[in-house]
Amino acid sequence: MNLGRAILDKRRLGRYLLNGVAGFTLLYILTPLIFVTWLSFFSQTIPSFPPEGYSLKWYAAIIENDRFVSGFILSLQLALISSTIGLIVGVPAALCIARYRFRGREALNNLLLLPLVIPGIVLGIALYVFHVETEINTGLPILGSLLGLVSGHVLIVIPWTVRLVTASLAGFNRTLEEAAQNLGADRWTTFRRITLPGILPGIVAAAMFSFVSSFGNLELSLFLVGPGRTTLPIAILQYLEWKIDPTIAAVSVVQIGLIAAAMLITDRYVKIARVV
Amino acid sequence: MTQAATAARIDDEGGGSRLSAATLIGPATIVVAAGIIIPMAILFRYSLNQFKPGLMMVEALTLENYIKFFSDPYYLTIFSTTIRVALTCTIICLILGFPLAYKLARTETRFKNLLIMLVVLPLFVGNAVRAAGWMTVFGNKGFLNTTLISFGFIDEPLEIMFTETAVIVGIIAVNLPFMVLTLQSVIEGVDRAVEEAAFSLGAGPWSMFWRVLWPLALPGIIAGTILTFILGMNAYATPVLLGGPKFKMMAPLVFGQFQLNNWPFGAAVAFLLMLTTLILTVAANLLMQRRYRR
Repeated sequence: MNLGRAILDKRRLGRYLLNGVAGFTLLYILTPLIFVTWLSFFSQTIPSFPPEGYSLKWYAAIIENDRFVSGFILSLQLALISSTIGLIVGVPAALCIARYRFRGREALNNLLLLPLVIPGIVLGIALYVFHVETEINTGLPILGSLLGLVSGHVLIVIPWTVRLVTASLAGFNRTLEEAAQNLGADRWTTFRRITLPGILPGIVAAAMFSFVSSFGNLELSLFLVGPGRTTLPIAILQYLEWKIDPTIAAVSVVQIGLIAAAMLITDRYVKIARVV
Repeated sequence: MTQAATAARIDDEGGGSRLSAATLIGPATIVVAAGIIIPMAILFRYSLNQFKPGLMMVEALTLENYIKFFSDPYYLTIFSTTIRVALTCTIICLILGFPLAYKLARTETRFKNLLIMLVVLPLFVGNAVRAAGWMTVFGNKGFLNTTLISFGFIDEPLEIMFTETAVIVGIIAVNLPFMVLTLQSVIEGVDRAVEEAAFSLGAGPWSMFWRVLWPLALPGIIAGTILTFILGMNAYATPVLLGGPKFKMMAPLVFGQFQLNNWPFGAAVAFLLMLTTLILTVAANLLMQRRYRR
């Protein structure tokens, strides 16, 4: 009996320890976000504790800061264009990988996921030298152009689309498509009326992950932006290299809010817990 | 008709089907191949060129950039610092991440989705923003120093900003979500009944963990460890912002060389960084295949 109690006590102790560390880890992950949000409401410029008072004036000041506004607009455009192109080329590729059996399928799948494996800074410098060579050899003014930036970001959003849509196709019941075709629907109609609605959650998730990974990308953009063209993450990085104050904290909070909103909207269509 | 039969039918369609498969996957393949393989090839070629101050890059076929990296203590120190930081972060991430991953995997309540979103949100917020949070904590008059002084633990503020400690703390926070999510998906695949079986056979929590959960979750542990290590090796924003201008790791070195217009050397460093990453990924895959072939 004593042995049984000892084991139960050990289990209880183990559970406390487990919960304690799990809670600490979650808090650790969230700590930087909590403090940046706190700082954005400080009334004084210097980030010293305890704050002298609280104010919302830094949020109003963002609108007047050109670098952040233009950075935000560029990042938004970039993320929208890149994730749209990513979906246009990525969804068919996912269909092909999930539905066809052919030699080299696994290799192609790995190729399409490759941009996620290559370090951002390495891919960035590689794309930069590629653009240099392209411009020298063809005269196409791609260096530091919006086209160059978009083509880089398309690369990093394709893996998300391929991965998430393939996963969603794997869980899709194909007998529904069979039934539609037996009832006389052609391939395109079957795709549009049966397959597409079925995998829509996967596509929504792909669009969201593409959008946020492009919007938040720093390493690729560092090499691909041109003079007078800065994305929001670069503007934030450059400001922080100089100083930290409530202005940059307010900008950060706007970004956090935007991404949180994107996640909550997506969560209505597909449970985030199931796709990450 | 079963799925296998459907798949077989598609194969039987022959030429037409092959054509439509190619149409579907073609555009994405071309985009990725042109966007990765060609640039990587050019980058590698650049790494064999020579750098002459004033002339920038001179066409050549030499290994001197790689030799320079491995013979100069300055660069070797940067390399070893990077590995040390990445390794430290990985170990701490594993220790801190496992309990949270376990809780997430075993939680059935409606809070589960919310908890996972709280882990994922920081992942997408961007490293610069998270560095800003740590700068608020670590500064001379930051939260940590003010708190420690007001409780009388220290008299003078600690110098945490611009140290290796600050960088390690920052990178751990960046990498933890990756570790937690990888481990969580593997633990979810481990049947809860085997844990209960271990307990009912008299195992304590500790021996249950080491003798049941750890071996069963090992593929995920290896995957998460490798991913975290790679991310640590390649960290850019965190070492730049929390380590300051004097603290150097590999990714900031690549960008710095590029800014100094020394493309050949920058290309060589970038290539070494990627090679380390790829070798580790391949090694981990082989290790897992050998262990789990049966």
